[in-house]
Amino acid sequence: MTSLRRWCLVALGVILVVAGPLGVRSWPAGENDVGATDLLAQVRAAAEQPYSGYVETQGALQLPVADRFTDVGALLGEQTRLRVWWRDRDSWRVDRLLASGEVDLVHDRQFTTEYDYQDAEATTSRDPGIRLPRTADLLPPALARRLLEDVADRATRVPARRVAGVSAPGLRLEPGSDRSSIDHVDLWADPVSGVPLRLEVYAVGASVPGFTTEFLDFSADEPARSRVTFTPTGSTEQSFDDVLDIADAANQYAPLLPPDTVAGLPRTAASDGAVGVYGRGLTQLVSIPLRGREASPLRAQLRRTLGVVVTDTGTVVSVGPLGLMLTGEDGDGGWLVAGSVTAQTLSDAALDLLSGTVVVDEGQDR
Amino acid sequence: MIRTQSLTKHYGRIRAVDDVSLDVHEGDVYGFLGANGSGKTTTVRMLLGLVLATSGTIEVMGSAMPRHTLDVLPQVGSMVEGPAAYPHLSGRANLSLFDAMGRGSKRAGRAGRVDDVLDRVGLGGVDRRPVRAYSLGMRQRLGLANALLRSPRLLVLDEPTNGLDPQGIRDIRALLLDLNAAGTTVFVSSHLLTEIEQMCTRVGILDRGRLVLQDHLDQLQRPTGRVLLRTPDPERAASLLVGRDVEVHADHLLVDAPDAAVLNARLVAAGVRVDELTPERHTLESVVLAASTASSDRMERA
Amino acid sequence: MIRVELSKMLRSRRTWSTILLIDALPTLVAVLLAVTDLGPRPGQGPAFLSAVLTDGTLYPLAALGIVLPLFLPIAVAITAGEAIAGEAQQGTLRYLLVRPGGRTRLLVAKLVSVLAFVVLAVLVVAVTAYVLGITLLGSQSLTTGATSVSGSSLSTTELVARTGLALAYAMLCMLGVAAIALFLSTAAESPLGAALGTMAIFIASTLLLTLEASDAVRPYLPTRYWLAFVDLFRDPILWRDLVRGSLLQVVYVGVFLAAAWANFATKDVSD
Repeated sequence: MTSLRRWCLVALGVILVVAGPLGVRSWPAGENDVGATDLLAQVRAAAEQPYSGYVETQGALQLPVADRFTDVGALLGEQTRLRVWWRDRDSWRVDRLLASGEVDLVHDRQFTTEYDYQDAEATTSRDPGIRLPRTADLLPPALARRLLEDVADRATRVPARRVAGVSAPGLRLEPGSDRSSIDHVDLWADPVSGVPLRLEVYAVGASVPGFTTEFLDFSADEPARSRVTFTPTGSTEQSFDDVLDIADAANQYAPLLPPDTVAGLPRTAASDGAVGVYGRGLTQLVSIPLRGREASPLRAQLRRTLGVVVTDTGTVVSVGPLGLMLTGEDGDGGWLVAGSVTAQTLSDAALDLLSGTVVVDEGQDR
Repeated sequence: MIRTQSLTKHYGRIRAVDDVSLDVHEGDVYGFLGANGSGKTTTVRMLLGLVLATSGTIEVMGSAMPRHTLDVLPQVGSMVEGPAAYPHLSGRANLSLFDAMGRGSKRAGRAGRVDDVLDRVGLGGVDRRPVRAYSLGMRQRLGLANALLRSPRLLVLDEPTNGLDPQGIRDIRALLLDLNAAGTTVFVSSHLLTEIEQMCTRVGILDRGRLVLQDHLDQLQRPTGRVLLRTPDPERAASLLVGRDVEVHADHLLVDAPDAAVLNARLVAAGVRVDELTPERHTLESVVLAASTASSDRMERA
Repeated sequence: MIRVELSKMLRSRRTWSTILLIDALPTLVAVLLAVTDLGPRPGQGPAFLSAVLTDGTLYPLAALGIVLPLFLPIAVAITAGEAIAGEAQQGTLRYLLVRPGGRTRLLVAKLVSVLAFVVLAVLVVAVTAYVLGITLLGSQSLTTGATSVSGSSLSTTELVARTGLALAYAMLCMLGVAAIALFLSTAAESPLGAALGTMAIFIASTLLLTLEASDAVRPYLPTRYWLAFVDLFRDPILWRDLVRGSLLQVVYVGVFLAAAWANFATKDVSD
């Protein structure tokens, strides 16, 4: 055999090896003629469907936040690898995989245990009504459930797509309100169980998604109970935390009661403390009162961000479909207003908050 | 034993070996003579399947090469462009390794075989020191021992006496002639005329990649038809030999005479004293020089 | 022929000095950890290193994490780069080829001997690390059971089995390095060139992995799944990257071995 012929043989082998996986991957997804309304109904009906699998989220939202918000910044701005076992709302486990460890959330009724391998710590806390986003909120089904709250949002079909090996029919959701900074959300769901498998969030004016979450492995079978129970070993340090994060702390301890409506958006039933959650579906915002020592570093950070706008009311930054505003001046505390709303809505909301908030008597027991 | 047909090797635009048709018979001690850079080593490498010919065919022991390398080479012992060994191992360990390589190697009797070839090349008393510490001559002998492992029918040796002292050269020559007498065909390439002259029965001469001559050594060294005459009376001798072609040199005469004995009788009869009378033969050197062009490592200004 | 190559590898002083060098780093780290009792900050440093302070039985894995990214591939690249180019430079290649076992078989024998080197190196590192871990850092897991990355407990049998799998996986990754170095060894003039070429490929691969722009080629980079052995210690085991990593290495080994064969089978040997 000549040298040339041997090289041709090797080249052929390489082409086969490379083309095989590429071919399988680019195999077109089978189309599904289900209508938008039916698909939406199916997805909604799957809210209690158990599932398990491997999820990757990819965020392009570089939030100018640090300190107590770092985790949120990382969740929305970087790639996150998750493993999930979900039996129902009350019993699930989500592992965030790190190169040399993992941080797991194990949820059992009203308690959530966070296990950090590298610190060998397990911290249990009661799930508060108000808290910052965490890994479990970014799973396609969890994120979809939140975004689908708004019945007014319009839904249309988009072409099916191969997700986690299944041909998943697609759905496009557009916000019903022009206060939203989200242009649309594309969602692909498992045709059998109706569980959302992939979500793409597009900001107004963006051609690429600002945030993507998708299953790479998916199973609609109910995971075993042993998968969602956490049994610490002897070397794990256990503790109980009364306060989960800064939002929970502000909600519990700030002596404030925000107004019922800001920027025309009604307060949701979930917010009963100092933190307000307004709007629903694709048009939502949250307002968190911050003390001076929490607000100042954040304000300094926002000021350094590209595209920052400083108004009389405060500092405004837009990152893709997310808007952030912090009221007040240097050294002051202020309201952190954040959500999937336009900059104008943030300003309106801030003004409403500043004028409409009631200070509760500190001695009074809420 | 070795037969090549129009063997040619190009390296890019350079023809290293050009249309070489070798013919080595069984039982020969074949001298493959050529200047440095004439393509000897490339030819030897092609015979052993190390380098692939651009065109032409090679047959060794009746089988085509390099197609039948696996059958042919076990019967061939070779040394190409100097010996080589693993420097951190002893000579004995090196030979054991080489003996264990390749097809059909048996563990049984390996130590005996190794000792045997070491004895043959005069390294029987070598100690356990690593090859790194060997002299050039010892390495050469070790390389030869390696070639002799497995009692080959054909020996292909490239410059086998390189780096040896005169005593060593004589040892090796005697060894090769011994082996040849026992039936081994020997193919020796060299740029040293004397080495070829003293050992070979047949000679091939390579010049700039071309085989310019291939013949029996006897045939090449045949008488020239002239006789060298040394005498204290050169003038008388010359006058006596008028009519013949006589070349007069300072201390001898060259006489065109088919039969030295007849010439001698005539000179003695005429009272010319004769110191020496020898039939002149062609020397290998003159044959080579006549057949070759200028030395190939010489770069003349155009 | 394979036996000859193995015996050559085992008798070479370089083999043992290389293994000793590879072994020196985890040994040093173990001694420093034992003396200072300072672990790396969480999220930094090699996998499992923060865990070994409480549990020395995990030290073989930490040692693997220490040597796998750089030391081991360098050693393998040097050893495999020697395979053909080193013999050629020494002049012994031609004598190997005229004792014919076939050039393809020579390549396979060389690969097997490099594989044996890898196995030897990894095992030596693992065994010394285990002994060091037990003696210097203590062995909590022998009494309470080891903790998996997911926080559940691992029995000793599970720990041993998973450690064995992790070692095997690391060996497979190194076999990929070896195949590339072997190919370059058939192409390069000098063994150093082959080793440096291999290192260049792996440094480039490691660099590209950190680059967001190289997202499309990332799954095909040879170092992409090297550290996936950590996934063996999650509960349940996350096979995804391990399977992909193994397949990728098998493909690399196959392709580069084939390329080495294509290049070497009729190459002119003129050193």
